[in-house]
Amino acid sequence: MRIKNLLYGIVASTVLFSTAVVAKTDVIWWEYSEEGSGLNDALVKYIQDGFNQSQEDVELEIIFKEGEYNEATRTALLAGVGPDIISSSGATYVAKYASGGFLMSLEEVAEKNGWKDKILPWAYNTGVFGGNLYSLPKNYESMLYFYNKTLFDENGWSLPTNLGEYEALAGMIQSKGMYPFAYGSSGWPMTHEHLAGNYLNTVAGPDNVYKAMIGEKEWTAPEFVEALELLKKHMMAGYWSGSLENYYAVGWDDFSAQFHNREAAMLQIGSWGFEIATALEGDEWGWAPLPILTKNGGEPNYQLSVGGTLSVNAASKNQDAAAEVLNWIVSNRETIVEFTKSRDFGAWLMPLYYEASDFGDDVDPRLRDYLVDFSERTGKGHYGYTTWTYYPPEAGTHIWKDMEVVWAGDISVKEFLGEQQELWEKARKNNELLPIAAR
Amino acid sequence: MTSWLFLAPVLFIHLLVVAVPSLSSLALCFTDWNGFGKINFVGFENFIELFDDRVFKKAVTHNLIWTGLFLTVPIALALLAAFLLTGVRRFQMFYRFVFFFPYILASIVNCLIWKYLFHPIHGLAAFFRDIGWESLATSPLTTKETSLYAVAFVDGWHFWGFLVVIYITAMYQVEESLYEAADIEGASKWQKFRYVTFPSIRPMFLFSFLIIIIWSVPAFDYVYILTSGGPAYSSEVVANFMYFEAFRNMNVGYASAVGALMFVYVFTILGFFWTLRKLGWEI
Repeated sequence: MRIKNLLYGIVASTVLFSTAVVAKTDVIWWEYSEEGSGLNDALVKYIQDGFNQSQEDVELEIIFKEGEYNEATRTALLAGVGPDIISSSGATYVAKYASGGFLMSLEEVAEKNGWKDKILPWAYNTGVFGGNLYSLPKNYESMLYFYNKTLFDENGWSLPTNLGEYEALAGMIQSKGMYPFAYGSSGWPMTHEHLAGNYLNTVAGPDNVYKAMIGEKEWTAPEFVEALELLKKHMMAGYWSGSLENYYAVGWDDFSAQFHNREAAMLQIGSWGFEIATALEGDEWGWAPLPILTKNGGEPNYQLSVGGTLSVNAASKNQDAAAEVLNWIVSNRETIVEFTKSRDFGAWLMPLYYEASDFGDDVDPRLRDYLVDFSERTGKGHYGYTTWTYYPPEAGTHIWKDMEVVWAGDISVKEFLGEQQELWEKARKNNELLPIAAR
Repeated sequence: MTSWLFLAPVLFIHLLVVAVPSLSSLALCFTDWNGFGKINFVGFENFIELFDDRVFKKAVTHNLIWTGLFLTVPIALALLAAFLLTGVRRFQMFYRFVFFFPYILASIVNCLIWKYLFHPIHGLAAFFRDIGWESLATSPLTTKETSLYAVAFVDGWHFWGFLVVIYITAMYQVEESLYEAADIEGASKWQKFRYVTFPSIRPMFLFSFLIIIIWSVPAFDYVYILTSGGPAYSSEVVANFMYFEAFRNMNVGYASAVGALMFVYVFTILGFFWTLRKLGWEI
């Protein structure tokens, strides 16, 4: 009898144990692979393992995809499959996925868990389409100046605050046989849009850019023509890597080396450039927001940008579990700070409401100053717009791909902006504009 | 009937993975599909827009130049090299391997090598600058006047070895007795090539002509890796244009219209060669 009971006990506990194991819900998440940089391992450590250890009901697995990640995702979604959690390059993709009905609305989850109180409002709004939240911003970026402080001190140079000072500084740097800025487009021609966005936001100004984006102003207005004419003039003067030909041939490694080897005095790049600046050896470096390139200058602004998003697949069988993962991320600010700190704040800097105390004493004060300054300045309304977060697809491609045609002298700036205007009108007509919060 | 039964599995697979996707892709050229949402029929709107698209027109012109370049330079060089190599007795396999080697390298490897060589700061330009030849100290890939030719040069550099090998193979099939007769007649090396070798390898030559015309239509990888069609569309080709429309601008319907035109062009070329064959040409 005892043996019989023992056997029953073993069978019953085995069944119960198996049920418990089987009951665990699997959540699959596809993510870009950045094997070489170590980001994959960090993502597994901080997010996958962090989430799995925090509870016992859901098992998260992050699968890293090589190559054209967005294409793999699109194909899977069209086939009615794909991962439970979808990562994308930005709002352009989210807009298309949402319009095709491939994403689950996160509105209810966001409301229930108070995401609006945790995520910076401008970044939150980049995921709202037709009144529904479809994506979480994964990382926020802005365009900055990095400069070789030692070099500046040695030569008595100071950071420019208006157009006159900017051009004078560039001239002084060039007279020393250096490039004013290290930069180039080889391997990533979208760098053209970084420059175009910088000039639109610092010459024409974010108010005008905003008006053009919402259709209250034409892109052919004199302010925009002036901005891109100035960019062309500076490009032809060799501000970036010495000449247009060099700029086209120089890639990430080259321009990082230019900055590190004193071949260039400054670097005009996104906040991901902290990775380059922190690797500078021997010299001190500094950073600054972009100066306003008008006669009298003005209050600098930070261009808003969301680099990467997270959404839940509408075809997922585990939507609740997938949403639980996203909520865990949004609600665990400490883990996110630890994670992004491990990446020098170049990746996974989620646009959450941070406080200075979040970063600890071991964070480089220059990085902390940037993060705090970004929050304060943008909070006061001094913000602009990056093309890759706010432009509809065709206008977003045109702004960098056809900029080369302007620089080659094949079309005028006015003609180029006329084409931009047409593409914005087409996007407006086809309801393809991305969400832009009122200023 | 039995033959059809034997063919059935292959036909089925072909229908499933080639014919049906190709036909559905062709059907998309009459729509405004963005790759995700609703599909709307737009008739010939995509084609009307295409014929007015300055970039598409530029890309078509570049494809024609590309085809012209590949039908002349690599063919001429390969014929010469193959003819000279057939006279080499020692280390012949070694020479064949040397010529064929760039062809078996991955395009990304070839491109990176040449991208570095053509770099205006570190590459050959730096060398020319050092020895005072300033006019040569530029990068052909980043200059709009030369970018298309520079990309075609790199692609041709990897491709011509393939032609050398197929021409050598064809030349070895030529009857030795024909050369002996030519020797008896006192024919020069050029006369032997002109009257014996070339007529004998004409089917292979025309075959290479045909594949070059067809392969020039989807030319993509070297352009994409080396210049992405730039600077300022100076090296833009049709396949790269189509890729950008489909995957960057998300105009899948528009890109399908480009694909449909490429399809029509290739079929026209094939029809032309088929007609020549019907007329008795050895192809």
